[in-house]
Amino acid sequence: MSRLFHHSPREGREPLIRMVKRPQIPWAKANLIRAAALLGALLAGALIILLLGHNPLAVYADMLEGSFGSKVSRTETVKIAVPLLGASLCVALAFKMKFWNIGAEGQIMMGAIAASYFALFHHQNMPSWLLLTVMCLAGIIAGGLWGLIPAVFNAKWGINETLFTLMLNYIAIGFEKYLQNGPWKENPNGFPKIAMFAAEARLPRVFGVHVGWIIMLALVVIVFIYMKRTKQGYEISVVGESKNTALYAGMNVKKIIIRTMFISGAIAGLVGFIQVSGADFSLTESTSGGVGFTAITVAWLSKLNPIIMVFVSAFLAILQKGSNRIQTDFKIPASAASVLTGIILFFMLGCEFFINYRLIFRGRKEKRNGYSN
Amino acid sequence: MKKLLVILVCFALVFSLASCAKGGTGDQTAAPGTKAPGSGEETAPPDNAGGDITLENIKIGFIHIGDASDKGYTYNHDLGTKKMQETFGLRDEQIINMYNTPESSACDTAIRELIEKGCNIIFATSFGFEDYMKAAAAEYPDIEFCHATGYQAQGAGLDNFHNYFGNIYEARYLSGIAAGLKTQTNKLGYVAAMPYAECISGFDAFYLGALSVNPDVTMEVIYTNDWNDPSAEAQAAQALIDSGCDVIGQHCDSTAPMTTAEANGVWGVGYNSDMIEAAPNAVLTSAVWDWSRYLIFAVQSVIDGTPIPTDWSGGIKDGVCDVSALNETTIAEGTAEAIDAAREKIVSGELQIWAGPLYDNEGNEVVKAGEVFVEPQSAPSFNHILKGITILGS
Repeated sequence: MSRLFHHSPREGREPLIRMVKRPQIPWAKANLIRAAALLGALLAGALIILLLGHNPLAVYADMLEGSFGSKVSRTETVKIAVPLLGASLCVALAFKMKFWNIGAEGQIMMGAIAASYFALFHHQNMPSWLLLTVMCLAGIIAGGLWGLIPAVFNAKWGINETLFTLMLNYIAIGFEKYLQNGPWKENPNGFPKIAMFAAEARLPRVFGVHVGWIIMLALVVIVFIYMKRTKQGYEISVVGESKNTALYAGMNVKKIIIRTMFISGAIAGLVGFIQVSGADFSLTESTSGGVGFTAITVAWLSKLNPIIMVFVSAFLAILQKGSNRIQTDFKIPASAASVLTGIILFFMLGCEFFINYRLIFRGRKEKRNGYSN
Repeated sequence: MKKLLVILVCFALVFSLASCAKGGTGDQTAAPGTKAPGSGEETAPPDNAGGDITLENIKIGFIHIGDASDKGYTYNHDLGTKKMQETFGLRDEQIINMYNTPESSACDTAIRELIEKGCNIIFATSFGFEDYMKAAAAEYPDIEFCHATGYQAQGAGLDNFHNYFGNIYEARYLSGIAAGLKTQTNKLGYVAAMPYAECISGFDAFYLGALSVNPDVTMEVIYTNDWNDPSAEAQAAQALIDSGCDVIGQHCDSTAPMTTAEANGVWGVGYNSDMIEAAPNAVLTSAVWDWSRYLIFAVQSVIDGTPIPTDWSGGIKDGVCDVSALNETTIAEGTAEAIDAAREKIVSGELQIWAGPLYDNEGNEVVKAGEVFVEPQSAPSFNHILKGITILGS
């Protein structure tokens, strides 16, 4: 991302503002910038709330109350965070390799469809534990294969993965719509929806939330170790830094791309399985519900670090749950609530720019190529 | 590790801010908020102890797929809620609306939050909420669950799970008369949300009404596959107008088909609420619901401790549905007389909408001559697309 803003010295008149990459910033200072950004976000949000005619402090308090205040709201917040965390792990693996997988949405959907197939049509044939295992594997494989397609095309023929993964989302969602309106429709003459899963195809609950949260936390640890401590994880970061370096070091870059994308898609497929069997108990058009895109924000805010993702996805879940609550309690329109969360995210992402770059105004001499800190 | 600390610090910041907020503005939050700790105890502690539900302590929850900004379905349901509230003199905090709830597990969440806030009776207004309502009704036998447009209450075997809807096809028929008299191209357009009985029976009745005053009329229908998607609804209306339709009917939540008709200088017939304000030069009339009839009845039943019927329905003669006031500037001459005459016959039972012979658009006789199709439940089940109606784009 930082490459977008690369500073290039120009001939002639000096521009009014120039961006200079900071070499290294002390972490205390970086955090000061982040804290300032959060404060700025809350203040900007407060302005909007004031314009809507409400007390900002009361609204913020109500957001927190809505996401933590009771047992139901706590479990629901966790239910929002779980798929977000999983999708973030999915995209982080690919992003580490600088492979822009924005197809988590579709990979989740394909995993969900595969898992639903067994839940809908084979639930009579197996005991619950076996059915859930089969559904889980089906989801993982289907998601992985959906991630594999753009990887193969990219590795073999250099086809742009960003567009490819994006377009595959719409195919996956279109396929779900076809199933919902056609072959999988619950009542042939009725409303176009897919049947609710039988009890055997539903994930058990632990502490009031489906076990998906335990699976996800385990996956965080696994992905963390995989990325930081294994040979394959190392290969991913080398390919991400420079494909030529990887080639020079004798790595099979194509194989690494294909393998990593399978894993990335497989994680998304697992998320799809967890959503249909743990949260929705059915397959709907909104099963992936945009988490595949929100996960990109989570991944960047966490600097692709799986451990931090736990907190960032929890943070986003709180924002989402909280903004639902203020719609109910203060009759704040849905669009205004989205603007509010958008502002907070904008500040949080925007501050990373000021951590990586500093601005130099015309006339001010920069000290030693910007090495001034 | 450092980054982890950072996030924790951020969280701590948010929390500290919030806790300040709570301390500082506690009084203010209580006023518009959900829990007014004092009020429940002050009113009647013995009542609560005995479990009796009174007008003083009843709490009523609603789950909506959209919000009142649609100016259509949810807006109109809210009007019913307000009327019910005024009738009983309920305080604002006794009514909790959950808006913009998707037809997914989010509905389950909404139900649980309403229960947690102490609701005694919960209304859910969109078709896709039914499975979640049914499951919750089984789990919470002491709370009443009322679901509009659904069909599963009969046969669910639950005393506290109910469906409600009405004979909106009667109002559709009347509004079709206005369309049939107005059209100059003899081609009506209709924006429908979903390809199933509720929408199909609606446009059938609308078409039959038009046909009753204009034997040359045909109709084209486009589905949006979404209850509330204003941009898709506007596109569908535009496509119908482009293909020559000059009166646009609708079964979807927003006013977009009406405003699109107005922008193109053609006419429209609204649904749910009186849409005349949204498109004053286009709307002829609207087929409208008065949900307060059911809401008042159901809430009164809870107060009285009498059972709510499993399946509740009402028509024009019950005041549950009708056409809104005709738009004098747009309607064709004779519309008011034709509609009044038909309404009288519907109320007296002389005019039956689903009277045979009726043919579907493949030529099959779906209701035989001399017979009348009677809806077995409040939720419509008549799903034959009648002769003269074409579905576009599917």
